[in-house]
Amino acid sequence: MDNNLPLTEAIFYILLAVRKPNHGYGIIQEVSEITGGRVVLGPGTLYGAINSLLSKKWIMLYSEDMASRKKKEYLITKEGIEVFFKEVKRLEELVRNAKLMEGLA
Amino acid sequence: MKKFRLYYDKDREQDWLQKMSSEGWALKKFFLGVYTFVPCKPGEYIYQIDLLENWDGDKEDFASFMEDSGVEVVSQWYRWVYLRKKAEDGPFEMYTDIDSKINQYNRIKNFFRAAFILEMGGFLIEMNAALRTKSLLFWIFAILAGVFAILFLRIVWRCQWKIEQLQREKG
Repeated sequence: MDNNLPLTEAIFYILLAVRKPNHGYGIIQEVSEITGGRVVLGPGTLYGAINSLLSKKWIMLYSEDMASRKKKEYLITKEGIEVFFKEVKRLEELVRNAKLMEGLA
Repeated sequence: MKKFRLYYDKDREQDWLQKMSSEGWALKKFFLGVYTFVPCKPGEYIYQIDLLENWDGDKEDFASFMEDSGVEVVSQWYRWVYLRKKAEDGPFEMYTDIDSKINQYNRIKNFFRAAFILEMGGFLIEMNAALRTKSLLFWIFAILAGVFAILFLRIVWRCQWKIEQLQREKG
């Protein structure tokens, strides 16, 4: 099995938030929004995760405008998309198998 | 206002900064155990302390990332960073998942383990000199180095204990 999986919740949502160019603060906000405030990424957690995703080449630096000191934006790579969908497949299998429990709830 | 303190546990140090903020004193600068405070509205800020990964490589990158994320870098000393956010902007915690919390304690542990080894080396050299020369000065140095070595070792153990707690939580 792919030893990159399962993804942590933080990594999963960061990948999702950089499907289009996004910067640090934007990632924190979007993740909080789409999870109804359940997943709030600490800036230290995000910083560490971004650096590890960059070194794995799952995301890349999209823009770094030195002159205007614009915020750095990140974008998912092909590898990142691949890993993301592998994880989605794994999650779908979990949900599919969870149906065996139906009737007990 | 200036206060001199030596903390060997960043969580307790953080709690103390929080208490100072709730009493209307905001940390402005840290240098060698000297904390400089300026007045603020009681409870205006939430403070967090962090240790950077590298000696200097990622200092600027880290600082600009934090500023971009709405976090103010108050003071940097060596690899230690003091950060804060206004309390009215909501809760502020640097590390929000167990893995990144474990990583942080690992960084701190490794930092103090290196300090311990250095101090232990100093202790042995001073001890050797003290035994050879029977000079009081070397004895004092040896005792000082010994005390610091024990202190650093305690921090290493504390971090280890916290890491194990977190790992148990993770299951």
